[in-house]
Amino acid sequence: MKDFQSADHVLADGLRAIADEESGLSASPVVEANVMAAFSDVVRARRRRTRRIVSALGVAAVAVAVAVGVSKVRSRNSGASGLQTSDLTLQTSREVTTAFMPLAYSGVPIADGHVVRMEVPRASLVSFGLLPADIVDTVDGARGGTVIADVIVGDDGLARAVRFVRRAVRKELQR
Amino acid sequence: MDDDGLLDRVKRGDRQAFSHLYALYQSAIYRYAAHMCGAAAADDVVQDTFVAMLRQPARFDPARGTILSYLLGIARHHVTKRLASGGHESPLDVDGPPGDGGGVVDPIAADDTPLDVLSREQLVAQLRDAIQSLPPAYREAIVLCELQELDYATAAAIMSCPIGTVRSRLHRAKALLTAKLAAIHRAPLVVTRPTR
Repeated sequence: MKDFQSADHVLADGLRAIADEESGLSASPVVEANVMAAFSDVVRARRRRTRRIVSALGVAAVAVAVAVGVSKVRSRNSGASGLQTSDLTLQTSREVTTAFMPLAYSGVPIADGHVVRMEVPRASLVSFGLLPADIVDTVDGARGGTVIADVIVGDDGLARAVRFVRRAVRKELQR
Repeated sequence: MDDDGLLDRVKRGDRQAFSHLYALYQSAIYRYAAHMCGAAAADDVVQDTFVAMLRQPARFDPARGTILSYLLGIARHHVTKRLASGGHESPLDVDGPPGDGGGVVDPIAADDTPLDVLSREQLVAQLRDAIQSLPPAYREAIVLCELQELDYATAAAIMSCPIGTVRSRLHRAKALLTAKLAAIHRAPLVVTRPTR
């Protein structure tokens, strides 16, 4: 007497046997070596990028600190001569600015601060990844030129945020 | 460690974690790729899959599935490109004509089949050939749901199709395999066993 097994069972047994046989299959050791090498490359590239950003932030912090110093000296020395200058010309400026974007030290608490306007090398902003080329105002229009930026600097000298400015200046002689 | 924690360590540049992740999942990807586009290309698919994951590790969303399904999804993308460039097989997402053996499955009725004398090895070898001859969309359903034993939902996520489509492709694939095996022996696929 015979016991019939359905085709489904035969198929299921065969598939299970194939799955069992193949469970030990794996990619060649060369693939593992290549993938691990790719991992090392990615990690190295990521570290290089981080170092570039950190050094760029350092340069920016120094530039901002210098700009703050210069700004304070100028404000002390301006006084009457500043009034005289404003008698001669009426400076009308229309500005388009981006929103303030946080910088690396934006998380550091701030008690007081200043907004410092400065010209920043375009190349350094490219390294930040913060350069919207169609918004910023360039001095020479070239990639190697400068862009105008307002930087919020805390009383500790650390830059907290930056915005970029497009400025159209019109000077009229006052009668 | 769960998938998310493992991938977090990989993102932080932990070489040991990446090595562990590779060891865990390379075999499944290799087996899938070997069935879909041949053993020769499977190594390349494994490599491309892990390199792609390395470049964009943030694209993995644990809410959408496991790392395995994420990696198999990447692998499927590379397999699809290879199948498309090969030009000899239809794309994975097309339920085209099933090709040879795609007709009506022979009814299972007779008991004078030669399969009862087939060794297990013969059956497995013939089944392998039959799987390879399936259209890619059906083969993929068999590989994922039967050989990799993934559930329908996971397979559907990998195949980018509804669960119902996975079910129907799997059903169709099994019917085709049955028909192919039966055709080899010119008899319906029925195995007899003596009673104990």
